[in-house]
Amino acid sequence: MSGMDMLRDAAALAPSPVLECDAVTRMYGERIGCRNVGFRLWPGEVLGIVGESGSGKSTLLRCLAGLDAPTSGRVIFQDEDGAVDVHALPEPRRRALMRRALGIVHQNPRDGLRMDVSAGGNVGERLMDRGERHYGRIRDVAVDWLRRVEISPERMDDLPRHFSGGMQQRLQIARVLVSGPRLVFMDEPTGGLDVSVQAKLLDLLRNLVRDLDIAAVIVTHDLAVARLLTDRLMVMKDGHVVEQGLTDQVLDDPQHAYTQLLTSAVLV
Amino acid sequence: MTDLVRVNSVAKEFVLHNQGGARLAVLDHVSFAVKAGECLVLHGPSGAGKSTLLRLLYGNYKCTQGEILVRHHDRFVDIASADPREVLEVRRLTLSYVSQFLRVIPRVSALDIVAAPLIARGVDFSTAQKRAQDMLARLNIPQRLWALAPATFSGGEQQRVNIARSFIAITPVMLLDEPTASLDAQNRDVVISLIDEARRAGSALVGIFHDETVRERAATRWIDIHSFTAAEAA
Ligand SMILES: Nc1ncnc2c1ncn2[C@@H]1O[C@H](COP(=O)(O)OP(=O)(O)OP(=O)(O)O)[C@@H](O)[C@H]1O
Ligand SMILES: Nc1ncnc2c1ncn2[C@@H]1O[C@H](COP(=O)(O)OP(=O)(O)OP(=O)(O)O)[C@@H](O)[C@H]1O
Ligand SMILES: [Mg+2]
Ligand SMILES: [Mg+2]
Repeated sequence: MSGMDMLRDAAALAPSPVLECDAVTRMYGERIGCRNVGFRLWPGEVLGIVGESGSGKSTLLRCLAGLDAPTSGRVIFQDEDGAVDVHALPEPRRRALMRRALGIVHQNPRDGLRMDVSAGGNVGERLMDRGERHYGRIRDVAVDWLRRVEISPERMDDLPRHFSGGMQQRLQIARVLVSGPRLVFMDEPTGGLDVSVQAKLLDLLRNLVRDLDIAAVIVTHDLAVARLLTDRLMVMKDGHVVEQGLTDQVLDDPQHAYTQLLTSAVLV
Repeated sequence: MTDLVRVNSVAKEFVLHNQGGARLAVLDHVSFAVKAGECLVLHGPSGAGKSTLLRLLYGNYKCTQGEILVRHHDRFVDIASADPREVLEVRRLTLSYVSQFLRVIPRVSALDIVAAPLIARGVDFSTAQKRAQDMLARLNIPQRLWALAPATFSGGEQQRVNIARSFIAITPVMLLDEPTASLDAQNRDVVISLIDEARRAGSALVGIFHDETVRERAATRWIDIHSFTAAEAA
């Protein structure tokens, strides 16, 4: 095959990654949180991170999402007007970037919701953060988002503490997505829910990610969840990435000993 | 006719790290090309590596060696070395894989599952729904099932939903791993016509069919996979 008609670069695809993770390491004293992690995430892509407990998934996610600074390495986000080094930004600008362009769905909805504010308020508040002041419009958008995550608008004025776990999680997702982030991070978004509730949530997430064309990074220990939601998969062990690639390839033809162990333990 | 697939010196070996690092050499020196309008049948005994080869072509398995060139628009993409997002783009528009198993997505209706590939290619919702209905009818799925999620369908019904989904948007390259296994004669005939239609529309197909009748009626060319089988590992 000559090089002539063989172009490996993907000219037709998006020109630049939305997120670039460059040799990210985070240490907790002597202990490794995550070490030397590198990848690029492109618009519309969903990246999964799997690995055993303590392998550094949450540590990495928190660095990517701007919550914790890496000990070394850089996290580059492609903002509307150019690339920014997330952790080199002054604190107020980093906070502003996170509010405007990044979304974080926590495993425990309590960490992502204001439990003493009504369901509608939880969603509407994020619009006000973005400068929306018109009460009627805020209410309309909040109602629309509650519908999208299948919460009846009649529950608008109820406090999330009176919601089931699955509803709280759906409300958190609405609160995150209403402000139109370009990149969403989720740490075990279906953890702690029963299987039937999980299925519903997964289906919802799958459709939202596709319809809104956002990029996402999802940490999960559940390989079936990874298979359903992600395009690419990264496998971590002891803080390192041992394997990454196309999700179905990593799951069906794992190359690394650890990934083989992980995939042989469950039927995916 | 132009080559849509070129397989050059492909080898596949599985290394089973958790079984003492055992090496399973399955394929070696695999080279062939498939042109538009052909249906190439892979022939060989059970365990010879037919499904493995199809999965390599789809990028589902990783090549140990060699290249797999698939014509995507006006250029060749090497599935063996392309990065994941490029493989996904090739799969979205050019390359599809049809097995006998439907991967059930919770809560999604049969109709939506079948329409999804059209939607992904930008066909508008109502056209996609209409064509999905036609396809389900053609594969003899009773209308009362269309709005239901296939999780509760019989094995054969799920299989036919999968075929409907796979053939609703014909791609330039189609890989078929026993799509007719365990279908009754009537539905088997439907699948054979679908294959013929794809071929006449200019697709290149690579298929595995255990059923002798299907094989004879669908194939335009055969390859004996045995000729590529790697020698036993020492
Ligand atoms: N705040 C902290 N202080 C000290 N060590 C920490 C801290 N957070 C995490 N670690 C350590 O870093 C390593 C990685 O932890 P991390 O929470 O990233 O794992 P994880 O992959 O998310 O695990 P899990 O699946 O259990 O959530 C572990 O050894 C953990 O004990
Ligand atoms: N993911 C995998 N990991 C390890 N070994 C594998 C894997 N997939 C296939 N093999 C092995 O490769 C060999 C070829 O299998 P394959 O499924 O390709 O055969 P086949 O020709 O399709 O057989 P059949 O006609 O029975 O379907 C077998 O020995 C199989 O065990
Ligand atoms: Mg964690
Ligand atoms: Mg087979």
